[in-house]
Amino acid sequence: MQVLLDFLRRYNYLFLFLILEIFSILMLVRFNRYQGYVWLTGANEVAASVNGAYTGAVAFTELREVNRSLTDANIRLQQENHALREALADTKYDTTYTHRRVLDELQGYRLIPARVVGNKIRVGADNYLVIDRGSSDGVTAEMGVVSGGGVVGIVYLTGRHHSLVMPVTHSKSSISCSVRGQNYFGYLQWDGSNTRTAYVADVPRYAKARKGQVIETSGYSSVFPPGIFVGRIHKVSNASDGQSYRLDVVLGNDFASLRDVSVVATPYKSEIDTLRRRAEFIDMNSED
Amino acid sequence: MFPVSLQYFFFAVVLTLLQVLVFNHIHIFGYATPMPFVYLVLMLHSNTPRWMYVMWAFVAGIVIDIFSNTLGECAAAMTFLGLIAPRLLEAFSPADHGDEGFIPSPHTMQWSGYVRYVATATFVFTSLFYLMESFSLFDIVRLCIHIFSSSLLTILIVCAVGHLRQNISRG
Repeated sequence: MQVLLDFLRRYNYLFLFLILEIFSILMLVRFNRYQGYVWLTGANEVAASVNGAYTGAVAFTELREVNRSLTDANIRLQQENHALREALADTKYDTTYTHRRVLDELQGYRLIPARVVGNKIRVGADNYLVIDRGSSDGVTAEMGVVSGGGVVGIVYLTGRHHSLVMPVTHSKSSISCSVRGQNYFGYLQWDGSNTRTAYVADVPRYAKARKGQVIETSGYSSVFPPGIFVGRIHKVSNASDGQSYRLDVVLGNDFASLRDVSVVATPYKSEIDTLRRRAEFIDMNSED
Repeated sequence: MFPVSLQYFFFAVVLTLLQVLVFNHIHIFGYATPMPFVYLVLMLHSNTPRWMYVMWAFVAGIVIDIFSNTLGECAAAMTFLGLIAPRLLEAFSPADHGDEGFIPSPHTMQWSGYVRYVATATFVFTSLFYLMESFSLFDIVRLCIHIFSSSLLTILIVCAVGHLRQNISRG
């Protein structure tokens, strides 16, 4: 205690100085507008920085909890994202003009939605697609298959729950087509050179076909209704027989990434088929 | 020892009036303002207690502030001057001065010591005063010009007053 008193007595001028100096500065900022403003601004900045540092420190101490909640949220969002992707894949529709037009043309026909579950598309090979709809779903052989990009192919064989589709990228595929706006038709066939292209043979030479024109189904069969998009003319050339045109066509579908398709159930197909079979029977009997 | 005799008190009043009525209105080239009232601290006897230095400097500063409408500026600077003035006096005083002490003047300290004492104290005071006035280092060049020019003018006046008082005391 004595030491403390000695210390205070010895350095009393220092304490007096501090008191008077603080008093002077208080007067300075209290009674002088400019100094008061500068002091207030500086004090506010200091207070803001101190508050910021305090908030940062508090936030740092809570990082463990925040990190855990973020991890939980991340897992939940990943699960939601996965579920949404699945839902999107199931419900996604192509909204392009071609898709809308295909849907318009198919009004009045029963469409059986299906998903491609087997797809081995190779250049130069006879390709087949497998879809997840079969006879139990009402799919029968020789039904047309379409997608948002246009014609896909024809059902070749059906099982109970799956069907085999012969796409246009098959050497034996032959679909009756015409140039949009014209009545001349030919048969879409595939030469095996490219999975994105096919050709229409037997187009009469007086048909006015030009590059860029649309090739669509002609409707001259019971498989596809007329007007379903097939592709666009890429090149017009003479056929090998010299009597007709060959139209190279860029197909509307990319068969390598085909996923969702629809099987077209033509309502009067069975009636047309019965009539054809009867005609063939009559022809055979008349020849006999 | 009480530092302020009647003669000192009269001198302080005169110097304060001169500062408030005359020197405060002098701004040579817009920068140099003489502040010879620092002499009120510099003229204190060397044996004055340090707390008395601080208190006397504060009182002198606050009086000038009251009449100059700069409340706090002079008081803060003068209080600091009151704190360091005894140390400066020790540093620049002649080595052979006795225990009875002395009143700082060219006669008691020699001109060289006296001028260094006055110059250092004045420079510290003006620096603090103008720092208090500007309260920021926004225009540091202008601040330095203020400090150096005012210090120079004040040193000249204080030295002249010291010389005059010495001559008067010699009779």
